[in-house]
Amino acid sequence: MSLKLQPANVHLIEVKLKNEFNDAEGTAAMALLREQGLSNLKEVRMGRLYEVSGALTANQAHQAGKELLCDAVTQEFRLVPASPAPMNGMNFWRVEVWLKHTVSDPVGATVVEAIVEGGLPRPTGARCAMLYLLNGRAVKAQVEKAVAKSLANPLIHRVVVTEAHP
Amino acid sequence: MSQLAETTQDAFPILGKSPKELRVIGNARHLSLSDAEWGAIQAHFKTLQREPSLAELETIAQTWSEHCKHKTFTSPIRYTEGKKVRTIKNLFAETIVAATEAVKKPWCLSLFKDNAGVVAFGKKWALAMKVETHNHPSALEPYGGAATGVGGVVRDILGVGLGAKPVLNTDTFCFGRPDYKGALPEGAHHPTRTLRGVVAGVRDYGNRMGIPTAGGGIWFDDEYRLNPLVFCGTVGIMPQWAVKKEVRPGDLIVAVGGRTGRDGLHGATFSSANLGADAPSSAVQIGHAIQEKRVLDALLAARDKKLYGSVTDCGAGGFSSAIGELGADCGARVRLEQAPLKVSDLDSWEIWLSESQERMVLAVNPKSLKALEVVFAAEGCELAVLGEFTKTGRLEVMHHDRVIVDLDMKFLHKGLPRVEREAVWSASSPAKPSGGLTKKAGDALREMVGHLNVCSREWVIRQYDHEVQGGTIVKPLQGVRHDGPGDACVIWPHAATGDMNDFSSFAVGHGLNPDYGRIDPYYMALAAVDEALRNITCVGGDPARAALLDNFCWASPEDPKQLGALIRAAEGCRDAAKGFGAPFISGKDSMFNQSKDEKGKDLAIPGTLLISAVAPVPDGRKAVTMDFKGVGNALYLIGRTNDELGGSLYHRILGRVGGEVPKVTPAAALGGFKALHAAMNRGQVLSAHDLSEGGLALCAAEMGFTGEFGCLLDLDEVPRDPRIYSNETLLFSESPSRILVEVDPKNESAFLRHFGKGAKSAAVRRVGQTTANPILKVTGLEGSTCLEEPLKELKESWQTALPKVLG
Repeated sequence: MSLKLQPANVHLIEVKLKNEFNDAEGTAAMALLREQGLSNLKEVRMGRLYEVSGALTANQAHQAGKELLCDAVTQEFRLVPASPAPMNGMNFWRVEVWLKHTVSDPVGATVVEAIVEGGLPRPTGARCAMLYLLNGRAVKAQVEKAVAKSLANPLIHRVVVTEAHP
Repeated sequence: MSQLAETTQDAFPILGKSPKELRVIGNARHLSLSDAEWGAIQAHFKTLQREPSLAELETIAQTWSEHCKHKTFTSPIRYTEGKKVRTIKNLFAETIVAATEAVKKPWCLSLFKDNAGVVAFGKKWALAMKVETHNHPSALEPYGGAATGVGGVVRDILGVGLGAKPVLNTDTFCFGRPDYKGALPEGAHHPTRTLRGVVAGVRDYGNRMGIPTAGGGIWFDDEYRLNPLVFCGTVGIMPQWAVKKEVRPGDLIVAVGGRTGRDGLHGATFSSANLGADAPSSAVQIGHAIQEKRVLDALLAARDKKLYGSVTDCGAGGFSSAIGELGADCGARVRLEQAPLKVSDLDSWEIWLSESQERMVLAVNPKSLKALEVVFAAEGCELAVLGEFTKTGRLEVMHHDRVIVDLDMKFLHKGLPRVEREAVWSASSPAKPSGGLTKKAGDALREMVGHLNVCSREWVIRQYDHEVQGGTIVKPLQGVRHDGPGDACVIWPHAATGDMNDFSSFAVGHGLNPDYGRIDPYYMALAAVDEALRNITCVGGDPARAALLDNFCWASPEDPKQLGALIRAAEGCRDAAKGFGAPFISGKDSMFNQSKDEKGKDLAIPGTLLISAVAPVPDGRKAVTMDFKGVGNALYLIGRTNDELGGSLYHRILGRVGGEVPKVTPAAALGGFKALHAAMNRGQVLSAHDLSEGGLALCAAEMGFTGEFGCLLDLDEVPRDPRIYSNETLLFSESPSRILVEVDPKNESAFLRHFGKGAKSAAVRRVGQTTANPILKVTGLEGSTCLEEPLKELKESWQTALPKVLG
């Protein structure tokens, strides 16, 4: 008899400020990136990503995003699809800054406990990342270099830079 | 499987290997063991007729690290000064400890042996203070390194005696200049990024734990660009009955707080090595302030129920250091499988050595375990019994019935070979000042107020919560607009004592000036002690009840010149402590603060000594701030001015080198401080501010623009060396032990009486008065105005300098 292991569900929950609000954190991040040579940036908006692993269904992950991770007045959230469609163009970049797996993630640990306190099944783990949405002409290598020198520390962070929707 | 876990854990062959082969093993595993230490380990295991296990080797390396054993300060040194050669058997014992024993203060309750120094605070309470450095981790990851620096020193206070409640955090930093434009080696952070990250780390950890951060300072110098210094301090308060701790055989070993992960491996041995590009990422941890707050609350509740006999924190070396230290006099048997883990794939040695944050270890009588579990469960804080303390004199560690460590405590703690080092100091005769063009006094003053080592730190201070707990009487920013530079903070710890009718408070101040050390570290040390003491005196602290802490940050002690300079500084500390009658109660050293620069050359930091002072303020309601309080008040200058511009800010802005470094005469200085303290206790002092960088001119400017009153000063009235004929010298000399004091005219006679018979050696003279017009106006020795500057413009330069360079 073969034992079939069920793959754990992994949900990526994205939380960011609604567009009608001024994003002070994003503005500060833009200043740092401009210092590193991304002088064409017009806007940076910031958010948080929560990667929640375990037995949560998509509905339960939606509930965690809505009731726990997002302030409904000022923020909006979404479950990020597993394979986002590739984008074209060089004006919009999505930057994710994750702590490496060898580094403790206190925010992730707190999210696990909060999900349980919210009455949902205990996730096997959660990791948190900073999300930066960049608007401005740049090439990927420039973005990666500037992020490594300002928003991330390659020693402890893993950075994912992808093209993004406006 | 971690990259380091590929080697077998049960036996780690070292017997028969050559020193070269052992060095290769040590470097690969970041063990930072010297040839002599390898030799001692080989000899020990040869006697045992077996190879060590990996966990044993790691345990020995951690325990014998510079971080844990302070080898530089405790090993013999052959010291050559000029033509004289002498042997120092133990620098720490012969300087810091010797001075403290010489001054014999009965109010010192615990010195050098615990996680922090402890002094009496009234009859019922005790104050514990510790200042730690977290330099190497902060260089690699400024935010995480600084945050865990705060977390670590807070745990030191929780782990002193049976635990103290933290009531104050302090932060002092040395950074490269934020406007540094030169090249940096691969992987190094720009000083601006380091500054931003460190400040954010200190801010987030301290604020989240609800501890006010209200004292400290920043020093900028490009020689810190690769090796920033991050000094984190904490003061705690505890009942005097809780100062003593005891581990008894049969007590359970109980771990509380955070779970154990792979983070923070090799932190202790890492601090014993030069900082390079190959530094391990695991040496940096990310703190969890909320977790530590839970530990704090549960621990203090358990303390008050007397549910444990001893406690210490898991710092560098993790369980290996904490349990090894607690069981050093008896023995300990540990079962690692009981430890709560963050991840399940940790190897035995990783669990044992991990430096995961927010963990403490307690010695608990088995009868108290259930009650202890209830207390910790109430705070949502995990607790696990890891084993028991024994009377075998051995450190025995098992993991799933497999012995991974079986070491003799005596070998572990006393087996470190003492290797003699060489140290050299060449006393150079003071060179005449040379270089640089003289500037007009006004131009020089304007440049000084905007200098990075003087300008406002408001950008940093405003990020910290210095009001939480509601006891910060004298705040870091002072004056009518709450934006002037305070000398020290005063804390009224009523939130901890619960007594709103007892106004007993305490002051904490600091002294640091590496520029003096470039000329002579001996006088740098004396000046740092003097500065710390005059800072606390300025706010109402009792200089006769002051306790000191030393933090030495140096480059490689393997360089005889560096070690010679360190000895000079330590001897300066010794003489200052004796002269001021102020004991050292705690301290820390951080060595090997040097790195390869962009050209591959070693860049060492300037030898740096931070002195912290803590003293009671008998009645917090009588504490004094530094801003002028009104018009027509008399200004008195305490202390004599000498031609001491060597290492001064004035010379720095002129580009001038040489000159006499400021020299402290402790007896005279203490006389002045005591007299001023007595006057403050009688409410005869309106404001007081110490003269440090920039001398009299800068001091008066700061008092003026903070209080928004001007002043008139007459240099001919300044108590001084009669050989001084230069207005610039009187304005900008940095002679130590001087304080400018504002006194209501109706109190002048009473004020002066304090400087009578009891303190003949203290020079005090009326040098001017406050005015309504916000201008600093100074009459020179020749009788004409030598300096006239609008305070508003000076303040603007002072306030905008740091934000301007940070962008």
